[in-house]
Amino acid sequence: MKYKDYYKILGVARDASADDIKKAYRKLARKYHPDVSKEANAEERFKEMAEAYETLKDPEKRAAFDHLGSHAAGQEFRPPPDWGQQYASGSPFDQTGQSAFDDIDLADLLAGLTGGRSRGRGARQGGREAPIPGPDYEAMVRITLEQAFHGTEIELDLSVPEYDDRGLAHRVPHRVKVRVPKGVTDGQKLRVPGKGGKGMKGAPAGDLYLDIQVQTHALFRTSGQDLYVDLPLAPWEAVLGTSVELPTPAGAVALKVPAGTRAGQQLRLAGRGLSRPGEKPGNLFAIVVIVVPTVVDEAERALFRQLSETSKFDPRAHFTQGAAA
Amino acid sequence: MNIDTAEALSLDERSQVSFSQLLVLSGLSDDDLRELVEHGALTPVDPSASSWMFTSYCVVVARKASRLSRDFELDAHAVSILLGFVEKIEALENELHALRAGARR
Repeated sequence: MKYKDYYKILGVARDASADDIKKAYRKLARKYHPDVSKEANAEERFKEMAEAYETLKDPEKRAAFDHLGSHAAGQEFRPPPDWGQQYASGSPFDQTGQSAFDDIDLADLLAGLTGGRSRGRGARQGGREAPIPGPDYEAMVRITLEQAFHGTEIELDLSVPEYDDRGLAHRVPHRVKVRVPKGVTDGQKLRVPGKGGKGMKGAPAGDLYLDIQVQTHALFRTSGQDLYVDLPLAPWEAVLGTSVELPTPAGAVALKVPAGTRAGQQLRLAGRGLSRPGEKPGNLFAIVVIVVPTVVDEAERALFRQLSETSKFDPRAHFTQGAAA
Repeated sequence: MNIDTAEALSLDERSQVSFSQLLVLSGLSDDDLRELVEHGALTPVDPSASSWMFTSYCVVVARKASRLSRDFELDAHAVSILLGFVEKIEALENELHALRAGARR
């Protein structure tokens, strides 16, 4: 079993008062709670501080944790021989101290002291003999834009607690295969019924919640179900109009660019964005960018010079009109 | 090993869940859920109906309320206020995101 230094995680001394522990937790929770924080790795950081607070706020669990001794964070350790008798008396903890601790998580061990593993759903049902619904799991899933567009199947490898016949939780790998529907958007939440933790004593399994993150794409930007792509045009294409082949996640399509198209103009391709079954699909917007050649040969330079001498176009006419007003 | 493929369900404005389903899925108590509705943090599809139904997106909001209540030790009233601010920030972020996506690079 790996040691976690709950005091260090909350940034308090080992002899900190209950009030100091609460203050430290609240300060950190404000900074890292995933529902109110935008800090990098907020969810991961918050998970460990919530775990630390869960133990240190409870005098019984805190005493049991203290009695495990002080080790370096991440160091493999075993509880002292008398630990089971003192803190897990009457529980299914192996009182002979022969238990294998390798795949036991410290939080699961301490949660087991007060039957606290049903945090959240079903926690109010109480009583060790009452059926306890399985816990819900949450996972962040990163998919490509193409996967979001077409729908996809993903495989998740979770580490979940499984209880042995003595009630001790062992961490075991658990693989889940999930079909993600087409048209999911960045930040969308999905529920996979029954794919959370197993229920106890006939209770139903928990659910798996997926937080979808759509990876940044080299060409397309997303906003909800709408897609945006830059469309570079040469100055003469913008002036004269043209037909271009525009990439979309479903394959290239022909797009007619009207004559006199301006830079920054958005050309809408209706229904070419992300689409969910039974819903109005999003749109694809091609944003015009006028690009100029940086290298021109003598013939091209002559043509530009000729255009410059012939054209009456004044792109800064509004400067003088504005000055007169 | 052969693993069955499970279907992921969208939590959105189209599908609906009942009051009792929302209780189970969020882990909120009956009283807390009613109070969140009273404070406007959650709105039933038809508030005048005898048995409330909610869009399945409300599962996301109710679970968030449950986490905020548990992790910050807040009552339903405080959670409603906090959810209002979080929702406002998310709406602004979405607007900013849309503007950035629509701005040429």
